[in-house]
Amino acid sequence: MRVLVVEDDRAMADDLRQSLEGEGHSVDLADDGEAGEELARSRSYDVIVLDRMLPKKHGDILVRDLRANGVSTPVLILSALQDEDHRVEGLDAGANDYLGKPFSTRELLARVRALWNGRELAITEMTRLSANDLEMDLLSRTVTRAGRKIDLQPREFRLLEYLMRHAGQTVTRKMLLENVWDYHFDPQTNVIDVHISRLRGKIDKDFPNTLLQTVRGSGYRLEA
Amino acid sequence: MRPGLETLLRTTTFRLAVAQTSVVLLIVVALLAYVYVATVGQLVREADEAAELEFTTLERSYADQGLAALTEQVRQRAAASDSMLYLLRSARGEVLHQDILDVPRLPGEEVAHVEFEFVRRDGPGRRTGQGRGRFGPLLGGPTLLVIRDLGDTAELAARITSVLWSVGVLGVILSILGGLAASRQAARRVEAIAATARDVMEGDLSRRARDRGGGDEFDTLAQSINAMLDRLEKLVQTTRTAGDSIAHDLRSPLTRLRQRLEGALAAEPGGETERRALQSAIEEADRLLDTFQAVLRLSRVESVANWRLEPFDASEVVRRLVDFYEPAAEEGGISFAAQIDSRLIMKGEPQLITQAMVNLIENSLKYTPRGGRIEVRALEIGRGRIELSVSDDGPGVPEEDRDRVVERFVRLESSRSTSGSGLGLSLVSAVARLHRGALVLTDGLGAGASPGLRAALLLPMSA
Repeated sequence: MRVLVVEDDRAMADDLRQSLEGEGHSVDLADDGEAGEELARSRSYDVIVLDRMLPKKHGDILVRDLRANGVSTPVLILSALQDEDHRVEGLDAGANDYLGKPFSTRELLARVRALWNGRELAITEMTRLSANDLEMDLLSRTVTRAGRKIDLQPREFRLLEYLMRHAGQTVTRKMLLENVWDYHFDPQTNVIDVHISRLRGKIDKDFPNTLLQTVRGSGYRLEA
Repeated sequence: MRPGLETLLRTTTFRLAVAQTSVVLLIVVALLAYVYVATVGQLVREADEAAELEFTTLERSYADQGLAALTEQVRQRAAASDSMLYLLRSARGEVLHQDILDVPRLPGEEVAHVEFEFVRRDGPGRRTGQGRGRFGPLLGGPTLLVIRDLGDTAELAARITSVLWSVGVLGVILSILGGLAASRQAARRVEAIAATARDVMEGDLSRRARDRGGGDEFDTLAQSINAMLDRLEKLVQTTRTAGDSIAHDLRSPLTRLRQRLEGALAAEPGGETERRALQSAIEEADRLLDTFQAVLRLSRVESVANWRLEPFDASEVVRRLVDFYEPAAEEGGISFAAQIDSRLIMKGEPQLITQAMVNLIENSLKYTPRGGRIEVRALEIGRGRIELSVSDDGPGVPEEDRDRVVERFVRLESSRSTSGSGLGLSLVSAVARLHRGALVLTDGLGAGASPGLRAALLLPMSA
């Protein structure tokens, strides 16, 4: 996929480019807000990664202007200030995701991938989700695996829904925390892992193949 | 620095003194006027009355007995009294009796009381005197002037007048001097406080304004400034300690990080040893970043101006957190109970209350052994306050350490081995302060050697 990175810190920009290209994406770099806007409007990208504090044009304003000009490419904002108010400002401006510095490369890659997938999904508003032999009915709020009904608590249902929407891709603990629970802190305990292992106990127990995989050092992946 | 005269003239106190002097001046003038009227005025009035009485008596006797009798009567009275002087003229202007040597110019038809200066015989010589006269034409033409010689009384009046003048002038001078002195005094005390402020600005935070203990406004000001300086000094102290602690706390993880990277470098390229060394180096770096993040968050919470507090339901926040942490507690073999009142509306920042409760819950999860229990409470406790608390039956914190664990980077010896930045409770405490509440640590659910810990946020409810 084609990714535009707008970042004024040269070293950071090079790292981003290297990581993204390592994943097989093609990357364009812009080092200020205006150059970024020009590229974003003249070429088509799958995902735009923006630093918030950009010279010439602030990241939030850049996103607002892009949206105002009909550019709907998913935008991930990077910011040194991880605080909630800036997060909300960024999302209000029209960004799709927000990631505070410092972040791990894996986190960034997972989110870029999720943004791209999310765009595909958003096109069709679904009432049913499926991944492998797992089926989820969003209206009746029921889950079946290979036709067998699985009872889930509401929190487990929400967790599984998110995983199914991102089936086949790695989601980080942070992404789960933000998107399933709308929490923006870093737990110092294994609380997310426990939720996952409980869910795994329900969907993978009694089945030969494990759908909910742990991706070492990154997070989890639900096999598609 | 001594306040110069020019500076002095510009001071508020001096202006106040001038205003006060003017008021004093007005009062003095009014008082002196009253004294004047009460003394000199009284004397004059008495003289006027005496002259009037004499005049009417003589006028009546002229009306009854005629001019010749009047002349005779005037002569007798003049001889009998030293304090009355007479001038009687016939209708043709002929002088019938005259006690004064030079006749003052008399008003035409006036019958007014007049102040006279006259020359009279005084034994063999003559003297100048002052008197009050009653003058008037009598029926048929003669004119009569009766003068009451003020004599010593005039002198007394003059003396009173001059005393009044000197008192007035002296009063004004004194009140100006007093004003100057007062403003000088005030300026000196202001200057003393300003000097303290300058010393503090130059870096001597231990300087304090002098409180003379008199309880006047300057003492009150000095007390307020000193209280402010105390707080500032403590803050600066905390910041310095925090800076030292950060440096100290970061040294060991940075050293470990360096060792692991060295280990990776020394290991066989691409091998498992290298990979593990790099992996643990990354984990070490992540912990460092977490610490930085915690420091930054704490600073942000501590500056009140950053936050806009709005009403929200704290019970909902706690309910969600309990739901979130319940599985983790069960997994750890810990019984996890919650007691939550509904609708605990408070003014605040839900993200921060969440973070504070997360810190407390995770603390308890970390220190409570398998088989223990944790209880989360969100209760209305009366007097418009709510308690958000986490209690456990773990090892607890000894009473003497409870104040200390709230400070930045303080970790008890017993918990050195576990992970954590030593900032968790500092943040909770800062969040409590931001919400005008407090963090209270007491014994928890345990007993005996492991009393447990109850960490309670006591917060004001929204009115």
